[in-house]
Amino acid sequence: MGAVADTLLGLLKSWTRTTAFISKEVREVIRRPGALFSLIFGPFVIMGVFGLGYSGQYRALSTVLVVPRSANLPRDANFYQQFGGESVRIVGITDDVDAARARLQRQEIDLLVVAPADLEQNFLSGQQSAIDIEYNELDPVRDNYARFVAYRQVQELNRALIEQVIGQGEQYILQSTGAQPPITIPPQVIAAPTRPEPRNLAPISPNVIAFFSPAVLALVLQHMGVTLTALSLVRERLTGAMDIFRVAPVRALEILIGKYLAYAFFNLSIAAALSFLLIGGLHVPLLSPPGDMARVVVLLSFAAVGLGLLISTIVDSERQAVQLSMLVLLTSVFFSGFVLPLDQFVTPLRIASYALPVTHGIQLLQDFMLRGATNESWELLVLGAIGVLLFLLTWTTVRRNLRSAS
Amino acid sequence: MEGLTRRYDDTVAIDHVTLEVPRGTILGIIGPSGSGKTTLIRMLTGTLEPSEGKLSVLGQHPRRFTRHTREKLGYMPQHFVLYEELTATENLSFVAALFGLLWPKRGRRVKEMLRLVELWEARDRRARQLSGGMQRRLELACALVHDPLLLFVDEPTAGLDPILRTKVWAEFRRLRDVGRTLVVTTQVVGEAEYCDRVAVLSKARVIALAPPEELRRMALGGDVIEITTAQAVDATRLENLPGVRAVHQDTPRHFLVVAADAATATPRVVQEIHAIGDEVVASSEYRPSFDEVFTALISQADGADVDQAEEEDRGSRRRHVARAA
Repeated sequence: MGAVADTLLGLLKSWTRTTAFISKEVREVIRRPGALFSLIFGPFVIMGVFGLGYSGQYRALSTVLVVPRSANLPRDANFYQQFGGESVRIVGITDDVDAARARLQRQEIDLLVVAPADLEQNFLSGQQSAIDIEYNELDPVRDNYARFVAYRQVQELNRALIEQVIGQGEQYILQSTGAQPPITIPPQVIAAPTRPEPRNLAPISPNVIAFFSPAVLALVLQHMGVTLTALSLVRERLTGAMDIFRVAPVRALEILIGKYLAYAFFNLSIAAALSFLLIGGLHVPLLSPPGDMARVVVLLSFAAVGLGLLISTIVDSERQAVQLSMLVLLTSVFFSGFVLPLDQFVTPLRIASYALPVTHGIQLLQDFMLRGATNESWELLVLGAIGVLLFLLTWTTVRRNLRSAS
Repeated sequence: MEGLTRRYDDTVAIDHVTLEVPRGTILGIIGPSGSGKTTLIRMLTGTLEPSEGKLSVLGQHPRRFTRHTREKLGYMPQHFVLYEELTATENLSFVAALFGLLWPKRGRRVKEMLRLVELWEARDRRARQLSGGMQRRLELACALVHDPLLLFVDEPTAGLDPILRTKVWAEFRRLRDVGRTLVVTTQVVGEAEYCDRVAVLSKARVIALAPPEELRRMALGGDVIEITTAQAVDATRLENLPGVRAVHQDTPRHFLVVAADAATATPRVVQEIHAIGDEVVASSEYRPSFDEVFTALISQADGADVDQAEEEDRGSRRRHVARAA
């Protein structure tokens, strides 16, 4: 009987100890509403914004048509728009192919369609006419999409031409029964008077690994910069080291420059190692001079370290710093163009995405590594401006922290 | 400082404190936990803005310290705030650099300080591998490494063993002797003895400010003579002797005489006991421990608070009655 009572008492004590932990853990969590908010509502808000802002549709490709004067074809954009449907938007008709191609090279337009100069004559002589369709895409997915649109456009054009031919059938019969020799048109030419000749103007057509490597590099650099530095100042604030800084003749600027340089060293070392692995190991091309890539890496690291330090100055605990860093990562994966192209988001969200350093990092690194140059030089300026803005914000906050203890 | 006050919302952390610290002295600030010691130090170092009052440290308001003035300050916070992953040498070198010590001198001072706080053997150990006492010594070394003119030390001997504690105070007194000024807070009341002057803080106010010996007198109301007689005696009759302020008899043959001056009162007390037919077996000056002094001062302050509260209450009632009349 005594043994049973002892066992029951032991179980009861064990349960009491267990419930003590349950009670303690629950209290600790609910008394940190900020942490709870960022844990639950942070990802929820990100997913919500993603759901609201992601259209999931490719935008219509801006297209310029080159119609030679000798082609005797209509020059009305509306006429051609019917062949493209909703996937293209005719933004101009010209007969200057070089000027149009230059615009495509500058990525001002997405598609260039060059109509054959002698479409009718080719048809009458039983030959298919080639329609040159040019685009400038590195992204393998968008490369395929541009090809698809090109084929579709030509298909529509062929359909229109066939209808025209059938409408004129009577005339051909008359011609064939007349004095002139009959016209012989091969069936495949009748079925498809034109054929597309798609051509990607991008210097290379990277595979998936090569295409995503610069984006991964940009994302890793931003994440490393943010996470490493986010823990830096908060630790000093929490341990009380900041009290020594307050007494010492040290300025906020000296603290910040010291931290920036230290973490930039880490980030740049990581960038160098990753670049070596990507270029040397995975054979990802680097078409630009290394200096161009280095410029992007330096600016991205500058902005990332600033973002991390800013987080560090506003959070109350290391846990919160890590949570915020993870939210920045999640936001970056969704809204930087890393996985989904930015043009598939609604305009306000697309504009907001440019506030993320990694958005510019991805675009610029892809351009420099895979194109050899960028048409988006303004993004270098914006990336630098984000870095400067974050630096100023962090500087202000650190100065305020240094001025007064709580 | 004059009328220095610091409030946190409705709480008064420091309440109209007025005191002066002469150069080349050690001021001890003693008080129970939460009495406002650290708040006072923070205001003196410029990390906290006073809510009210005048404050001047090295001729400047701490909130407007120049960099040059800051280089003359040393500060040892209450808790370990250094970097756990850095070695003792690296931590010390970092703090020395913060205070502007250039390399050749910095290396020399780091060595000197590590030896002074007996951490030379542990110089390459990471701070997290040091014991609590060693960490405190490392912090002390950090506070001293740039040879500050004015040193603020917040509970420097917490967690130190008595031998090391004595060494730390010996170093403080050596610094004082070479002209440095030290403001030291402590909860170890016995350490008051090492200070030139002691401010006793209680409930945000300075309840006593004096040299240690004077503090004893303040606590007990004067010099205390401890008397043991051969036979039982009624000691209350000694209260009327000139210079005697009070008599506390604990046993029939043993009592304490509180006098304005022990040197003049002792012969009179001995003579009076002889006069009543008894004999003094032993007489000596009674030196209460600082724990007793501190307890007495706090009790007096609390009693004064109660008296003041009661007086205010009575006054309020009188005014109320007068208004009613």
